[in-house]
Amino acid sequence: MLTKDLIGQVANATGLSKKKVEQLLTTNNAIMRETLMAGKAVQLQGLGTLEVKEKKERAIVHPRTGERKIIPSKKQLVFRPVANLKDELKKI
Amino acid sequence: MADNKLSWTELRRALANRAGVTEKEANLFLNAFNAQLVEALKSDKQVKINGLGIFRLQTVAPRKSVNVASGEEITIGEYNKIAFVPEAGVKELVEKGLQPSAITNKAAEPVDPIQKLGAQAEEIVDLLGELGQGTKEPSAVSNQPAEKPKAKKAKTKAKAEEPKAEIEEPSAVSIQPSEPVVEEPSAVSIQPSEPVVEEPSAVSIQPSEPVVEEPSAVSIQPSEPVVEEPKAEEPKEAPKKQYHFMRDTLICVVILLMLLLVGYFFLRTQISSWIESLMKDEPKVEMVAEPVVEEPEIVIVEEPEEWTYDELLLTENIAEGSRLAWISKKYYGNKVYWPYLYEANKDHIDNPSLITVGTPIRVPKLSAAEKDTTTAQFQQLKAKAYEKVGMLAN
Repeated sequence: MLTKDLIGQVANATGLSKKKVEQLLTTNNAIMRETLMAGKAVQLQGLGTLEVKEKKERAIVHPRTGERKIIPSKKQLVFRPVANLKDELKKI
Repeated sequence: MADNKLSWTELRRALANRAGVTEKEANLFLNAFNAQLVEALKSDKQVKINGLGIFRLQTVAPRKSVNVASGEEITIGEYNKIAFVPEAGVKELVEKGLQPSAITNKAAEPVDPIQKLGAQAEEIVDLLGELGQGTKEPSAVSNQPAEKPKAKKAKTKAKAEEPKAEIEEPSAVSIQPSEPVVEEPSAVSIQPSEPVVEEPSAVSIQPSEPVVEEPSAVSIQPSEPVVEEPKAEEPKEAPKKQYHFMRDTLICVVILLMLLLVGYFFLRTQISSWIESLMKDEPKVEMVAEPVVEEPEIVIVEEPEEWTYDELLLTENIAEGSRLAWISKKYYGNKVYWPYLYEANKDHIDNPSLITVGTPIRVPKLSAAEKDTTTAQFQQLKAKAYEKVGMLAN
């Protein structure tokens, strides 16, 4: 499903206009991005948490050339679903 | 934990503030958004949200494992998990993201523009000293006249700067009575030629913008002042661009018209000569006809190499953000079959990774044999399609 379809569905469910929903969605995304950029997590009730995780640096060996390398530490955006939802979707 | 997390209530409040809606509406939207996201995950298995990323329901294949306690072999059944892939831009933002320390250091940043202003004020003093013979004026005095003329021209800019001038040299402000200061700028501004008056104003625009905007921007990006500076030049360029655009389109239209004319005359002469030759050499054409019959046989031999479909499932117009792999997953259950889609639509798609929104995509029906990805035919199609992408991408 693409953003457009989702906007349509949300508009149907709430009775808000599509334009309004689109505006809300973009603002919401902007807020989330800014929050995540600052290193804070975003809690989405009933859905999960979007958070920034620090990945430690690690050493790897290239399987073909045998070359050793160090991958520097980095930050990664991860989504952690709520336990409820996780279980619910497992069975589908 | 509470400091490190934007809670549901905070998000709702921020959204209501930013979007200019009531908190109730924001709440309604957020709840519906989450509910629909879950529904969509269940039905479509993937949801793309522009400006954030893609939520996907991934199926984890069953696998064998060993019971650690008893050493027994057990199988872990198939299950689904939610995967989230951030959009490229978002990923980059997060990777670069502000360090917590950088956020607390915000207070130190506003000093920089003031220092810049100070340095520029000194330059202005030098200029005034050279041109306006301002040898008698102490630096503090000449600082103010440099900024006062602007106050007459552009009050808004001056408002932003005057307090800063006071921050720089508070002592100077308190010592100097206001009247001589007002008199001096007029004397100074008359003596030097006009460029001098313009120069400081041009210089001052740059520091003033970052200073005004920073309080709001600080929490987001430290580099913003640098980005903001070129803005002063943009408005000048905009009308030029428009003019260029108009000229370019005019040239394009003229060229197109000429091409059409040339093509029309070329075709007319071609067709007339062809008809003439037909009229003259009718018996010859019959002679030629026999070898022509052989040619189609060769063509028929070539055709089976190219894959064609028998039955059309449907035609879908490509939506914003969609792609062939996406459609392939939607109708065939797996994205690997996209080369078939490309093959079926290659008459109007040049680059499979660059399709304009709204392009109709014919979705052929695939037989079980065609869904076998190990066949030579599929490999050939795949290689061709990938080569197309690679060639055009490079």
